[in-house]
Amino acid sequence: MKEIKIFHDATKDVSAFADKIKAKQKKIVGTLCSYAPEELIYAAGFHPMRLFSSKSDIILAEQHLQTYCCSLVRGVLEDSLSGRLDFLDGTVFPHTCDSIQRLSDIWRMKGRYEFFADVVLPVKLNTQSAKIYMVDVLTKFKKDLEIAAGREITDTDLRESIKKFNLIRKNLSKIYALQSQKPGIIKGADLYTIVKGSMVMDRDEVADLLPAIAANIEKMDTPEQNGKRIVVSGSICDSPDIYTAIEAAGGVIVGDDLCTGQRWFEGQILEDEEPLTAIATRYMDRIICPAKHSSATARGENMISLAKKNKADGVVFMLLKFCDPHAFDYPYLKEFLEKENIKTLLIEMDDQQQNLGQLSTRFETFIHYI
Amino acid sequence: MIYAGIDIGSSTAKAALIKKNRLLGTHVIPTGYNPLNAGITVFEAVLEKVGVSKIDITAIVSTGYGRASVNFADTAMTEIICHGTGAHFMNPDIRGIIDVGGQDSKAILLDKNGQVENFAMNDKCAAGTGRFIEVMANALEVELDQMGDFSLKADKPSKISSICTVFAESEVISMIAGLQKRENIIAGIHESAAARVAILAFKINIKEPVMMTGGVAKNKGMITALEKRLGFELIVGDFAQENGAIGAAVLASRL
Repeated sequence: MKEIKIFHDATKDVSAFADKIKAKQKKIVGTLCSYAPEELIYAAGFHPMRLFSSKSDIILAEQHLQTYCCSLVRGVLEDSLSGRLDFLDGTVFPHTCDSIQRLSDIWRMKGRYEFFADVVLPVKLNTQSAKIYMVDVLTKFKKDLEIAAGREITDTDLRESIKKFNLIRKNLSKIYALQSQKPGIIKGADLYTIVKGSMVMDRDEVADLLPAIAANIEKMDTPEQNGKRIVVSGSICDSPDIYTAIEAAGGVIVGDDLCTGQRWFEGQILEDEEPLTAIATRYMDRIICPAKHSSATARGENMISLAKKNKADGVVFMLLKFCDPHAFDYPYLKEFLEKENIKTLLIEMDDQQQNLGQLSTRFETFIHYI
Repeated sequence: MIYAGIDIGSSTAKAALIKKNRLLGTHVIPTGYNPLNAGITVFEAVLEKVGVSKIDITAIVSTGYGRASVNFADTAMTEIICHGTGAHFMNPDIRGIIDVGGQDSKAILLDKNGQVENFAMNDKCAAGTGRFIEVMANALEVELDQMGDFSLKADKPSKISSICTVFAESEVISMIAGLQKRENIIAGIHESAAARVAILAFKINIKEPVMMTGGVAKNKGMITALEKRLGFELIVGDFAQENGAIGAAVLASRL
């Protein structure tokens, strides 16, 4: 499909893609997690771009971050220090895990880019005071962006931005729903590329392309295959090879609980409310990541509903090594799923290197017995 | 009808032939550089040993890290499934398996029918694998198959605190320089490796009786260290190293 190829091309060489954005006189603001309020960055006229590691060897970052930090954080710092992110005009660090916060400190002190913002989001998201605080934080962030952009961000700007991101979210949800209904209709590697592309590409282009992809696959027949239905859970999964390995082992991915997946795009922002409050509400109500709290059972219940809704035969946890929030949550999520007789498999991986041989052995065995 | 299983491991390649639920024979060779060649060689060797020819073989299943290279096999299955099947074939009571091979160690939980229910596997790191013991044997100038006997003569096993094979090796070298008894260092090495493997067994709440398989099952020192750490006895059969290949042959008979 030619639309999917555009996503593949853009994600293959992010820096070449960034040059194209810069050619349009647009400033690029990098973001580090799915809690970054991209709607505000877009409304300020900047291009929000989720940062991923280029998976280069860690050399310069070693002086700042030890091996007990995850490979995403170390990899992105390496890219920055070695000049691979020189296309950036600024960066936004949402307050999530410890490593991202420390990365933010190092980043700020290095001061390589013009604009810098820490968006100090609340940690507990299920209280009334958190919501008031969240609106305050977003108001402050909006002001910072206005100063950087040299112009006011009007409610009209915000509403347009909300509409754009809602459209993107709605279509990604639709593509996922279609994949769950007609498993195998879209290859795992394509699914990954579409989501990743939606995080880095020009959002206007993304908003144009996604409805076409959704419409195209909607017309397709369910492919003949009898793969086991797999739901993937974890932080980021920035490797199409892993999706391919699951498929080669006889699985088909029917849903996810990933920062580079449904956690990022699920839910809509109410379009008829005061825009900043509406944005705040969406970030409060979305499925939390383990660095946030909404209730003691929120993630477990969500995992079960995700697995049941997608009729999952098994759940594969794919955690980045040394990602402690996810590692802390894993035993409890596993227990939740086991109570419902849903089998799980844990894979710990490094962003920079994967031992695909060993991974295949695990996937094949797991898919064989679920 | 005769069925064959071929297990291409990181250190050794194993082949087994079965006929009507009876093990006809097995063979083990070093894998070397080329997994396909190792597969061909070990298969031909087992055929010769048993005295049958290729046309007598009804089906072949390959397993091990080099399973995909064995292009003459009917299908490939992971070594976890094969070890489960092999252990059940040798002893239907077995509910748990500890398989320590050259580059991987695994704990496997079986149901009453010998089906894999759960498993845990070491990560990329070589701690708790055969390779760990091999590296240490080199550093200590002891033949690999002598490691077990040496460690059984230890009076006070040395404490090896590094998990990483490379760091542990330099720790062992310091111990050698500190004139610690070789027997004690070797026992310490086994205890260190056993601790890593036991973590895998506890992770899946392994159930007794537990069979130890893989090449490292030939090391008595490792068995002793593991039993001490686990708190129960391990069953070690005569074909522990070939267990994966035997399982593959059993699976071939079900194709």
